Amino acid sequence: MWKKALSAALFATGLAASPAAWAEAPEPYQITPELEAAAKAEGKVVFYTATDVAVAEKLAEHFKTKYPEISVQVERAGSERVFQRIGQEYSTGIYNADVIETSDAVHFEYFKREGWLEPMVPQEVADKWPADERDPDGNFAAYRAHLSVMAYRTDLMQEADAPKTWEDLLDPRFKDKMVKAHPGYSGTVMTSTFVLSQLLGWEYFEKLGKQNIMQVQSSTEPPKKLAQGERALEIDGNEYNVFRLIDEGKPIKIIYPEQGTPLAVGNAAVLKQAPNPNAAKLFYAFLFSADAQQLNSDFGGLRSFHPDVKEKAGRTPLAQIKILHSDPAKLEPEIPTIKSNYEKYFGT
Amino acid sequence: MSFLELDSLTKSYGSLTVVKEVNLSVEKGKLVCLLGPSGCGKTTTLRLVAGFVPANAGEIRVGGNTISSAHSTVPPEGRNMSMIFQSYALWPHMTVFENVAYGLKLRRLANTDVTKSVRTILSATQLLALENRYPGELSGGQQQRVSLARALVIKPEILLLDEPLSNLDANLREEMRFEIRRLHDEFRYTTVYVTHDQAEAMTTADIIVVMNDGRIEQAGSPEDIYERPETEFVARFIGGTNILSGTRRDSDDVVCEGGLVLRCGSGTAATTGKTAVSIRHHDIELSATKPRNSDTNVVLGTVTRQIYLGSHRDYLVSIAGGETVRTVAPVNVAIPVGQEVWLHFPPEKCRALAQ
Amino acid sequence: MIMTSNVQVQGRRRGIDLSWPTFALLTLVLSVLVLLPLFWLAFYSFRSDTGGGVTFDNFIALVADPTLVRAYGLAIGMALAVGLLSCLVATPMAWLVARTDLPGRRMIRMLVTASFVTPPFLGAIAYEILAAPNSGIVNIIYRYLFRLDSSAYLVNIYTFTGLIFAIACFTFPYVFTLVANALDKVPSDLEDASSILGGKAMTTLRKVTIPLVLPAMLAGTLIAILQALTMFGSPAILALPAGFHVITTKIWSLFQFPPRLGLAAAAALPLLIITVILLRAQKSILGRKGYTVLGGKSGTPRITELGPWKWVAIAFVFCVLSLTILLPYLAILKTAFTGTVGDPINLSTLTLRHWKFVLFEFSATQLALRNTFLLGFLTATAVTAIALIVSYLVTRRSVPGSGFLGLLATAPVAIPGIVLGVGLFLSYANPTFQLYGTIWILLIAFMTIELPAGYQQMSSAFSGVHPELEEAGRIMGASRLRTLWDITAPLLRTSVVAAWCFVFVGTIRELSATILLTTANTKLVSVIIYDLNESGDLGAICVLGMILLAASFAVVFVANRVPVLGGSQMNARG
Repeated sequence: MWKKALSAALFATGLAASPAAWAEAPEPYQITPELEAAAKAEGKVVFYTATDVAVAEKLAEHFKTKYPEISVQVERAGSERVFQRIGQEYSTGIYNADVIETSDAVHFEYFKREGWLEPMVPQEVADKWPADERDPDGNFAAYRAHLSVMAYRTDLMQEADAPKTWEDLLDPRFKDKMVKAHPGYSGTVMTSTFVLSQLLGWEYFEKLGKQNIMQVQSSTEPPKKLAQGERALEIDGNEYNVFRLIDEGKPIKIIYPEQGTPLAVGNAAVLKQAPNPNAAKLFYAFLFSADAQQLNSDFGGLRSFHPDVKEKAGRTPLAQIKILHSDPAKLEPEIPTIKSNYEKYFGT
Repeated sequence: MSFLELDSLTKSYGSLTVVKEVNLSVEKGKLVCLLGPSGCGKTTTLRLVAGFVPANAGEIRVGGNTISSAHSTVPPEGRNMSMIFQSYALWPHMTVFENVAYGLKLRRLANTDVTKSVRTILSATQLLALENRYPGELSGGQQQRVSLARALVIKPEILLLDEPLSNLDANLREEMRFEIRRLHDEFRYTTVYVTHDQAEAMTTADIIVVMNDGRIEQAGSPEDIYERPETEFVARFIGGTNILSGTRRDSDDVVCEGGLVLRCGSGTAATTGKTAVSIRHHDIELSATKPRNSDTNVVLGTVTRQIYLGSHRDYLVSIAGGETVRTVAPVNVAIPVGQEVWLHFPPEKCRALAQ
Repeated sequence: MIMTSNVQVQGRRRGIDLSWPTFALLTLVLSVLVLLPLFWLAFYSFRSDTGGGVTFDNFIALVADPTLVRAYGLAIGMALAVGLLSCLVATPMAWLVARTDLPGRRMIRMLVTASFVTPPFLGAIAYEILAAPNSGIVNIIYRYLFRLDSSAYLVNIYTFTGLIFAIACFTFPYVFTLVANALDKVPSDLEDASSILGGKAMTTLRKVTIPLVLPAMLAGTLIAILQALTMFGSPAILALPAGFHVITTKIWSLFQFPPRLGLAAAAALPLLIITVILLRAQKSILGRKGYTVLGGKSGTPRITELGPWKWVAIAFVFCVLSLTILLPYLAILKTAFTGTVGDPINLSTLTLRHWKFVLFEFSATQLALRNTFLLGFLTATAVTAIALIVSYLVTRRSVPGSGFLGLLATAPVAIPGIVLGVGLFLSYANPTFQLYGTIWILLIAFMTIELPAGYQQMSSAFSGVHPELEEAGRIMGASRLRTLWDITAPLLRTSVVAAWCFVFVGTIRELSATILLTTANTKLVSVIIYDLNESGDLGAICVLGMILLAASFAVVFVANRVPVLGGSQMNARG
């Protein structure tokens, strides 16, 4: 249900790709026995990902139950670190990675422009993915989406005291209580910083910077600081991590402010210089399979664009959440400004 | 042709030349002592022979083959020499047996031959009972003998000794001097021995080479060096002597300051400028009255110090011209300080020195 | 028989002298190791990040960019405070251990030495577990004891002072060891002389003993300052959450894509210069004539009886050891075996979940462990071998110009890890070398970083072996290498093993240079610990930390106990 709403919402923002562009993508492919055999011969696939390490490892494990002959090397780091690493590696002629995935849509525009990606479209993506959630040229597709959310410890903060809007965070009563991730490190937070600075202006962040916020790096980290009880309130961070912690029974509640919540779309792609091209192709198709997407949703709490994925009960459907979208094309030139403003207001 | 030849051998470190054009020939089987004060270049000469330091100029030849020159240096291990070090340099992690056997093992001898040779040399040096000890468990003299045994067992073409006795106490040192001479007489290795102790050199050497400031002052038998020194330095360094300076008058006579004329029975005086005369302490005759029938070689002086030493008396006498002469006299010749005294320098004991 | 052996004995043996080729090769290798990164560092610092060309912009930014200036200011302030704190804690402790009848002195020394083995970043993480303002165990207990509300806390490690404290825990052993050793060596007759002249115990302490160990104190403090200034792990873990950069983390942040290599290079240069100045200062302090009492061997040091003060002293030492060793280790142990940090310890919270995750589920573990130990082994072996040969050439002066080799081997001590990381990245991460992304670039980094320590140990060991022992071997007919193998090596065995262990332990905990040079295929335990810290997996970190510590202690233990390696029967001169 919410997927329809999501596509509708995205459609409404005018992000939908033109059908003409779609024609340039390569023919969709299916998992054939030949592909499986070639992949098994390679025996290995290297997955650079920004998804939470436990989720990514779970996915790899699932892949291995299907293809025990192929080992998956999961290299998890924050989106910006993955981006930085690929950048360093490709600019120095080192090709370690097969499949890459980050939560910063800007990266894939960049990779595509640099010609680092190998266009390919799994059958499942061609059949089931909303057109606006895949590259018209078939270079990448939206593997996952998640919100960057506010959340709080219900045992440390009364519901009545909890913030309702972004501006509430400037209230002195939240001083020393908040944790947030870093845009220099996390693609999710880069996106959310961008949309919030457009929505609320940089003065908002200037004031927020005086609230003595605990600064962590990855957007997976604020939920974990909540779980530890290190801080009572996260003001950004991955929704899916919070889901997982709530599933574990941690007393945490998500806040969806009326002004909207930033959305980060995580694309995945196969690299042109993949050392294990067949295994990469197989793994890439696997990433978009109903199985894998359902696992992402159930275990990982990630939002999926696959229409057959069943959302777990108890989670707020995306349709009921106001979403703040970001345009990667507009975000990219703003990155240096965002970084330097951020360092000015938050110190790092 | 001599067995070991040093030909214009020169070694310098930067601008400092420590061995200056040294020429030396050693016959096979002889023991040569390099004698001199510290810093005279004797140890460097030895290390040049050993191959530890390369030469800057000149050559070292053994049996006619050049082993060191300015261009090439045969490394120490290629010289078939052996050496006894001041510190003995016994390897603390090897037993006495292993220390001695090491050189033989390097020569790939069969084990039985090694054992046999080592045992032979250990008995020659009275060490057989100690063969399983570590060097740390031996006395200084025992260590010294192990060092000797280790050096001798490989039957070197040339044996080098670097102040081997300087770490021993006085009694042991005297004993070891004779021991080294005995072993040399027994094995007849061509030997170069470095020391600063003249008694050690006198006891052990066939030839003594006196070195000073990187040069050879004089080389000769112990008798030559003692009886017939050619330079003031050699005369002073070997045994006590008085050096009186003056100018040459005619072929044999030297006139010293204060008018003393010394007729010299040997040596050559410098023809121009200052020259010197050497006379040993015990060769000067001392008397209260003027010796008769002596126009030359006699002078009046004043006793400035007199010491009773049991076997003799030791005198310091200042003579005309301001020089002070040291002499010895029998115990019964007792002249108090301040009294005048006649000194007679027998001409056959006076040696004229050009430098 | 005798005749045949005679013939063999007489045969003059000739061999090729390998010292010149060895010297040339080593000079080349060390020059490349040391000079190349520095050259590229200097080169890049004059290059514009935006579009090539020579520029001074990077250096102008050093003074004009407030974020860089602030990072330097904070780093220097932090380092000075660390030095002061280390000195204040370590000096009395060293005195208590070296010069009083405090019980358990040997044990205390051992524990302090053990804290050398702890990687500083692991210590910082342990302090996150202990002293984070809300979830820190200390604060939880504090609130529980005094029934305070959830906003109250006793200590907060995510502050400037918290960072200083956490680093000082790691650096105080430098001061302690130097001062304690100096106190061991201050001849008691110097103190006796003062007493005979009528000095009271305290006067003697103040006027004689303290001035005598002052150089050691200053030298140790300078080392502590240097360590703090160039440290990356602890600030990255504690300063970033607190919202400030020190210079090392700032340089690291300049590598975020798109990297600003020129600015990073320029920002690294002052760090290099400060390090050189501090090391020179330390050397001149230790080298001052008349102050060195090292080597004095007159009598055993005099022991002060503490009397009733004993309990105060015990409390002080226990407090220091608890803070620096006991509590962090307990925190790591607890976190490795319980669900989350805040959980109380009881049967229901005990779990092997983190162990299972690290050992069986986390795919990076095996690779990282293999890489770490492989690199530790290779680095330790290579550094020990190079240090052995270099110190041989230098101490024996067998080749003219060998002093230069010694200088090269010592030079990296002045290059902070992060600076070296920048330099090596610039040198080798290009299409010519293609070393970036292989373990070889890490091997180069570790070799360069560890070379000075290895060289220092080996050359002091060499000066303990009389050159005549080797000359005896040569004149007996052994080649230079044979002598090195038969005579020098056995005599140095204990030192070689010690140096090997030292380098190994140093390597497996390196993070500063590693963080810039590592890639997916060259993961190391230290890096995955750092990565896991970013995603907040403290349980997994503690498991990995324990593995790292266990490996370090095992290596040290084996080296000390196995007779083939360390034990020896030599009680001899030499």
